Amino acid sequence: MGAASIERFQKRWQQSKYMEALLYAIGFGGLVYLLTHHLIYGVIGFIVSAAIAVFVLRPWSISQENAVSYIDAHLPQAGFSSGLLLSPSNELSDLSKLQQYRVASQLEPILSQLRPPQNLLKATLIMFALILLGLAGRFVFSKVGNSLDGNKSTKEQITFSPKDSLSTSIEIPELTGTKITVRYPSYTGKSALNTSDPNIKAVQGSSIQWNLEFDGDVQGVQLDLMGELIDFAKIDGLYRLTKNLQASGFYSFTFKDSEGNNYVSDLYSLEMVKDEPPMVQIEGLDSYSYFEFDDDKRLMLNANISDDFGIDDAYIIATVSKGSGESVKFREETIRFTKTIPKGNKQMELKQPLDLAALKMDPGDELYFYVEALDQKIPSPNVARSETYFAVIRDTVTDMFAVEGNLGVDLMPDYFRSQRQLIIDTEKLIADKPNISEKDFKFRSNELGFDQKQLRLKYGQFMGDETEMQAAAGAVSHEQGEAEHGTEDGEEDLLDEYSHKHDSENEHNLVEEHDHENERQEEDEDPLHDYLHNHSDPEESTLFEKSLKAKLRDALNIMWDAELHLRLYEPEKSLPFQYDALAIIQEIKNSARIYVHRIGFDPPPIKEENRLSGDVEDITNYDKRQEFEYQKSFASTREAISRLEALIQDKKPFDAMDSALFVDAGNELAQKAISQPLKYIKVLQGLRDLEKAANRSKKNYMEVQKNLLSVLPQMEDVPMKRTRYDSEINLLYLKELGVYE
Amino acid sequence: MNDGVVFLNQNLFWPVIIVGLVLMAVFVWKEWSQRAEGRFWLKLVAAFLAIVSLMLIVLKPSTYQDSVRGKGIVLTDGYRSSQLDSLKSIYKRIKTEEYSKGRTLSLLTEVDSIFLLGHGLEPFDFWQVENKSVAFLGSDEMEGWIVISRNNEMILGEPLEIRAKYAKPKAGHWAILADNTENPLDSVFFEETNAQMVTLSAEPKASGQFVYHLLEKNGDGEVLSNEPVPIQVKEGRPLKILMVNTFPTFETKYLKNFLTEKGHEVLARIQLTKGKYKFEYFNGASGTIYGFTSENLKDYDLLIIDTDSYTSLGRASKEAMEEISASEGLGIFIQADEGLFRLSERQSPFRFNRDYVTEIALGQPVHTLPKYPYAFQQNLRTQEILMDSVVVAAYLPIQKGKIGTTLLQNTYQLILDGKETLYARIWTKILNTIAREQETAVVWRSLTQIPKLDEPFEFELQTLLTDVEVTTEEGARIPLLQDILIPGKFTGTVYPRKTGWNQLQVANDSISPWFYFVYDDGQLQNIHQSELRNANHQKFGSSSTFDDLKSVSKKELQAITPFWFYLILLLSLGWLWLEPKLSS
Repeated sequence: MGAASIERFQKRWQQSKYMEALLYAIGFGGLVYLLTHHLIYGVIGFIVSAAIAVFVLRPWSISQENAVSYIDAHLPQAGFSSGLLLSPSNELSDLSKLQQYRVASQLEPILSQLRPPQNLLKATLIMFALILLGLAGRFVFSKVGNSLDGNKSTKEQITFSPKDSLSTSIEIPELTGTKITVRYPSYTGKSALNTSDPNIKAVQGSSIQWNLEFDGDVQGVQLDLMGELIDFAKIDGLYRLTKNLQASGFYSFTFKDSEGNNYVSDLYSLEMVKDEPPMVQIEGLDSYSYFEFDDDKRLMLNANISDDFGIDDAYIIATVSKGSGESVKFREETIRFTKTIPKGNKQMELKQPLDLAALKMDPGDELYFYVEALDQKIPSPNVARSETYFAVIRDTVTDMFAVEGNLGVDLMPDYFRSQRQLIIDTEKLIADKPNISEKDFKFRSNELGFDQKQLRLKYGQFMGDETEMQAAAGAVSHEQGEAEHGTEDGEEDLLDEYSHKHDSENEHNLVEEHDHENERQEEDEDPLHDYLHNHSDPEESTLFEKSLKAKLRDALNIMWDAELHLRLYEPEKSLPFQYDALAIIQEIKNSARIYVHRIGFDPPPIKEENRLSGDVEDITNYDKRQEFEYQKSFASTREAISRLEALIQDKKPFDAMDSALFVDAGNELAQKAISQPLKYIKVLQGLRDLEKAANRSKKNYMEVQKNLLSVLPQMEDVPMKRTRYDSEINLLYLKELGVYE
Repeated sequence: MNDGVVFLNQNLFWPVIIVGLVLMAVFVWKEWSQRAEGRFWLKLVAAFLAIVSLMLIVLKPSTYQDSVRGKGIVLTDGYRSSQLDSLKSIYKRIKTEEYSKGRTLSLLTEVDSIFLLGHGLEPFDFWQVENKSVAFLGSDEMEGWIVISRNNEMILGEPLEIRAKYAKPKAGHWAILADNTENPLDSVFFEETNAQMVTLSAEPKASGQFVYHLLEKNGDGEVLSNEPVPIQVKEGRPLKILMVNTFPTFETKYLKNFLTEKGHEVLARIQLTKGKYKFEYFNGASGTIYGFTSENLKDYDLLIIDTDSYTSLGRASKEAMEEISASEGLGIFIQADEGLFRLSERQSPFRFNRDYVTEIALGQPVHTLPKYPYAFQQNLRTQEILMDSVVVAAYLPIQKGKIGTTLLQNTYQLILDGKETLYARIWTKILNTIAREQETAVVWRSLTQIPKLDEPFEFELQTLLTDVEVTTEEGARIPLLQDILIPGKFTGTVYPRKTGWNQLQVANDSISPWFYFVYDDGQLQNIHQSELRNANHQKFGSSSTFDDLKSVSKKELQAITPFWFYLILLLSLGWLWLEPKLSS
């Protein structure tokens, strides 16, 4: 039982040590919390310091021996024998037993009162000291912090002042609450911002809500956004206005009190930040990559995409071009990145191998590709694309396509197919026949017939077949047919169903449709007219020599047949004719020769009877009348300066006209201010301040005038009428000067 | 008046005579008992003498005498103390008085020769020294602005040009022209010289009355002096222009566009073919003009005509044009082409010399423009129009009007090159010089250079109006003095009541008032002093000796010393007192 009490004492000792450590830890943790203002840091500080303190104090190292020796040293009653209490009594001698008993009985009442050695007081003091230190530190920080953004806090309030000098019969209504909520577009992922600072800077498309609360009776609360007045709605005693931010600008609030006095606030800025389009960069790739046909045709695409608010999507647009010249074909493909694109990331790096073989590219083909990225902007996302990169598989052979190598002018027109092309397409049509509907088949056959006609006409031009050309083009008649379509009953164009109005000159609607007269005029103009020495007889055409001409005539005749069969939806029958025509055309091409085009000018005929007669009877005077509204630059602003000078010199009192003028001047300058807000805000603010009766002092006038003068550009040079006085003496002098010249 | 005796107390003459006679009668009556004795007569003589001398003591007889009184020194602002000391050492106990303007110098009653030290007297105080001999000794050399000349009135868009002279400038200091709110507009760096001429210019940005400032700052930007430069900026008015061309040219087209866009009323007539014209009316122009008559030209301010049209003008048209120019002031601008330079003296008033220079450099940055290879012949009438010190055009006055032309060729190239400002500057300069000016009914001029508060301000008024009456702002009428030779010229004097802008108005007319600026006492001190010095030099000459004639020929009335009368009175009374004692 004596041993138990010693043990209790030891426990108490240990507990006090733990307590001490705890106090230190609380003190330190409190200090950290107060300084950082973060609970987590406080807890961490507490735990760390507690661990250190426990480790330093080592409460567990206090053994029974320590307790015994302490008791021996401090309690005379123990008679230096308290150690005996720990020994089991059976191991002791009788004397020892006696002593043990005595000590135990004597210690029993007093041992519980014995206090183990401890520094609890010191620890408590240190704890409080640390906490005090923390409080002091926080106070200092907040002071410094306040002074850093001190001017901000003064600005952060909307203040109103009366526009006119007031009859003070009523209390000036006061703005008691301002709440401005800026809701960023949802895609930005930013939470709504509540502020009372009326100078707003937000992303385009943000919705801004002003909630104003007044004590007192107010009416007609309005937002003046650069001259545009928007009314606030009154909801539960609050004045509320929600506006979508679409442009930068300046605004102020106005309201009226119950007596109709006007109040106006300062001018605040509304700054719109544009959502930037994503940045797309492709790294480690030359703009041109060349592959031999036997290379491993793979490209590694490394795209770096970043955006200010988050990327919505990104993909590769690849365009494969096959062939060259007339027969070039493009195929566009959108290739998705294999890795799915997480939405809303601000920055990402994408890798994508491009296998040219997989894009079915053959030698001579080219691939153009770029990466397109979209951001999350609503309603329409910003789209950005990288530069275009090229990949080319080198062709082993190159052939140049040239229709008329023997002509000085390359007369190959843009929109028609070569005979070879027609053959290929006809063959394709025949091959596709089982798979397509009859209507589709007939449509395509008819289309090919049209192409065949075009080709024939073009070749016909070289023969000088202009009459045929005109008759065949048939645009006029077709137009007419179209116009009378509704009225002429029964007479339907049989081809109409299959031709979707291709059979006209204006096939692709490249040229605006004109009225008839113009049409006819235009048709009279042969595009080759200027180049050709055209005789009416096609056979007299000097473009080709005789044998060549005969050949071409043959080819044209064969083309007629080819077209006929195509129009009859018999491509199979048309094909042999087409081959024939191709053969003849090839023959003609091969008989290449040099030909220098004749170019001449044929003046219009002169009417001999009118020549040199000088008859201008029919010519009349020509009158033209025009008005220009000349407004010198910044007219209102310049007038405002004069007006301010008059006000400064006390020449006139401030009146409504002045107010209107200053508003005009402000609006004039606001146009410029949008591009350079910093330079102008002071001026605009000054002008706006003059609205308020309280600010109409000479000092303010001068200040505003000074600012106006400093931002105003120079007058441009304009000749103007000036004034002068001619005295008799001067006139006499000038007169004499003339006489004695 | 003859040189006889004059009584100073002439007004007491008769009362004194009467009192004297009464006294004499009383004396005679009192002594009557002794009339048998011889001493009676003796007493009578003594009493008469005593009474006469008493009377004369009261009446103060005086005579004209050449007065030669002492010299005095009048000190005005800026006198040299060394000069004063040396004068004082030469003339012991010389009287000295400091001058303050407007106050009568008390010293002048005692002296007749004055040494005038310092800047001098105000011109309106000259009357005080009118009969004195004055030696104006002058003051120290001055420092600071001593001349500021400028155009007081300008049309908005015209530059304000200030030419000023600064005496003894300090190197490192700046002269700055600032606007009414002290925004700096132009500046010049001072050099260490005796006197520096500076030219400052700026274009006012708004119309109205402003007080610009001429500042002097040291290297640290500290303002050392601030002189006001009052200016008036007026709005110009659009011109009414007639353009006549035989065929359309780019030069005309661009000039026309330039003028019409600036709001001028332009009627352009371009010949299409014989007798057929294209008329273009801009900004409210109206009417058709074929031949010129004084009737149809009268309203125009400017006629722009090409050489071909000018030479092919009919006799009547040409005469009408010249007559209107002479009488109404129509400006005629001839668009030059090669033909103009070959015209005979009868056909064209301009004479040219071939100078083979085909280019001209203008503007900043320098831009070259093609020009005809001719130069204007210098003669009495030809007035050249300079831009950047280069002759760009010239005109001849035709009484009220002017006829001008330019040597520049294809100026529209400037617009094509995007140099619209230079184009506008060139044509503004040329056309402003030639175009008719609006005639005003009244022209004012201030004769007092620096008007100050409560000091006489003299102005000159020229008008064709008869019966002018000038009033001040307060409604006070100002009497005018008509010039002897020129009937339309008047002068007047006002005493401004307030500093800053004051106005004068022709009372019986709606003509806009005339504004003049009244300076504070501290303003333009140096200029004022230098003007004062000049005025004093003109008045008193610069010799430091006295004009003897003036001091000798002057006569003044001087009372005869009453000493003699007292002596006679004493002797007479003494005899009258002593005689009874002797006789008893």
